[in-house]
Amino acid sequence: MRTLRLAADVWLLTARALKVTLREPWSVVPNVAISLFFLLVYNAGLGGIGRLSAFGGMPYLSFILPVALVSGSVGGAGAAGQALIRDLESRYFTKLRLTPVSRTALVVAPMLSGMIQVGAQTVLILLVALALGLKLPGGPAAAVAVVLLAAGWGLGFAGYAVAVALRSRSGRTAQAATFVFFPLLFLSDTFVPMTLIKAGWMRVAAHINPTTYVFDAMRSLLSGAAQPAPVVRGILAVLALAAVTLGWAVYTAQRTLRDA
Amino acid sequence: MAEWTETKGTSNLAVTAAGLRKRYADGTVALDGIGLAVSEGEIFGLLGPNGAGKSTALQILTTLLIPTAGQAQVFGLDVVRCQAAVRRVIGVALQETGVDPLLTGVEALELQARLHGARRAEALRRARELSERLQLEGFANRRIAGYSGGMRRRLDLAMGLVHRPRILFLDEPTTGLDPLSRKALWDLVRAVHAEAGTTVFLSTQYLEEADALCDRIAILRAGRIVAEDTPARLKGRMRRDVIELVPADAAHCKALLVVADGVAPGAAIDRETVRVAVADGAAAARALLAAADGAGIALAGLRVAPPTLDDVFIELTRDQGADGTVMPPRLVPDGPFGGGA
Ligand SMILES: Nc1ncnc2c1ncn2[C@@H]1O[C@H](COP(=O)(O)OP(=O)(O)OP(=O)(O)O)[C@@H](O)[C@H]1O
Ligand SMILES: [Mg+2]
Repeated sequence: MRTLRLAADVWLLTARALKVTLREPWSVVPNVAISLFFLLVYNAGLGGIGRLSAFGGMPYLSFILPVALVSGSVGGAGAAGQALIRDLESRYFTKLRLTPVSRTALVVAPMLSGMIQVGAQTVLILLVALALGLKLPGGPAAAVAVVLLAAGWGLGFAGYAVAVALRSRSGRTAQAATFVFFPLLFLSDTFVPMTLIKAGWMRVAAHINPTTYVFDAMRSLLSGAAQPAPVVRGILAVLALAAVTLGWAVYTAQRTLRDA
Repeated sequence: MAEWTETKGTSNLAVTAAGLRKRYADGTVALDGIGLAVSEGEIFGLLGPNGAGKSTALQILTTLLIPTAGQAQVFGLDVVRCQAAVRRVIGVALQETGVDPLLTGVEALELQARLHGARRAEALRRARELSERLQLEGFANRRIAGYSGGMRRRLDLAMGLVHRPRILFLDEPTTGLDPLSRKALWDLVRAVHAEAGTTVFLSTQYLEEADALCDRIAILRAGRIVAEDTPARLKGRMRRDVIELVPADAAHCKALLVVADGVAPGAAIDRETVRVAVADGAAAARALLAAADGAGIALAGLRVAPPTLDDVFIELTRDQGADGTVMPPRLVPDGPFGGGA
């Protein structure tokens, strides 16, 4: 009964968050534009290196596509934090706190709407990549798996963004916190396979960086010859991040909402 | 649940509080031990100037803040231990809450109803009904971003009513509204109270508002309740007359104030009228007339009036009374706990 109630509340609040996002569509545009820009510019500028043997015959478009998708999902997740800040600033959040809705629902809903938004923009970026000549040897199943990985990664970052928003209650801090985007996205095998990374410290960073495992899982799926190992590692990275940030967001909500 | 047993014997009390204290993290003591007892069906007003602690008290009673000390119950439910249960019986329109400006009025009301557990059709019906009732019809399907201040207040009130609460908490419901919108909101509050028997607990800085709406008021100053009674009795407790002097030439207001202050300290200007509170109206009137004459100020009018709630308020919220006639502050003089305890 309680879980049913929670699910219903989460759904109502998520639907409302999505509705509001659709009413302010331009807030989504810059993030999608950046992802598409990455895809176009990196593919156009670096595409030639795909001929190197280290790429194992994978077209550079397939190699760089996960970077565009992950950048989109991290950016899209940041929007979940911004949406929460908007509610805190308009004080609508206080009104929601005065309903019998659980604190958990209040933080899970913006996370879910962030995830759905990321899923939608991932599909869009995939379609653009197909228009650019992307081949999907893995078929639709691989494409769906890639979308799910991107959305799951978005969910994890949405949890982070929501927790920061709740803690700081300030749009600027929440904005500043999205800077983790840079090390996470670029201290990895972002542009070339691990074997071509020159600096040793960079290889170490890439191994520590969970994004690497998401890139590798997506690339494996896009190559058409998906190996179970990288895909499983990618799924684990996504689940781990989502679990940690969800826990953090819920904990922050329970704590800060009690006396604020 | 243990909390429910506490309700026995106090079920006719909508709000009770004892020793309620709130000290903010920065050290500000916003409430310094207040006691409250509001009966079911009452319209109760918490009256006080800026910073008195009204919003703090309302936030505690509506489960948004945890008190530093003391306790409070709403219909016998502890506001700290039974937050969810309290939220089900209260309707709230706070000074500082808003509604998502990107939603329409009906959408916001419908969502509010659904979050309180109503089914979709029922929620929509309730949203329509309330937007009509609170005169938002023409705007119900427009985005809240385009609402005027008065419409937002009415929507806020509607949001607080979707789940038919037993008690409605309103924090400064008419601050910032023009006189017409204010009257309209008063009428709505009265109507809700009359139709559904809803208890109303409101805060206000306006004596006029407390006088017009409330059955009983408590005056809050610097985190303490300095008086609590019916508006009429509070006025009666000021055994003083107020003399109003209107200068023939409005430009003489300041000069007249100085003269009047010389006769009876504590005179004040209120819209081109000099008002002065005195112990004996008849004698003071004579002295005031003579003094004005002496200063060469012609008067257009003189009125000896019974004290208004404003005078009570000024007396009670003054840090130190001007003379011995100021009543000592009394805590909860004849509230429901007064006789038996
Ligand atoms: N979050 C807070 N942190 C620290 N001090 C606070 C906080 N909120 C209120 N205060 C202080 O507590 C006191 C009471 O504030 P409160 O808002 O309850 O007064 P109020 O009667 O509602 O005033 P107003 O009529 O201006 O709304 C004030 O001195 C205020 O500065
Ligand atoms: Mg206030």
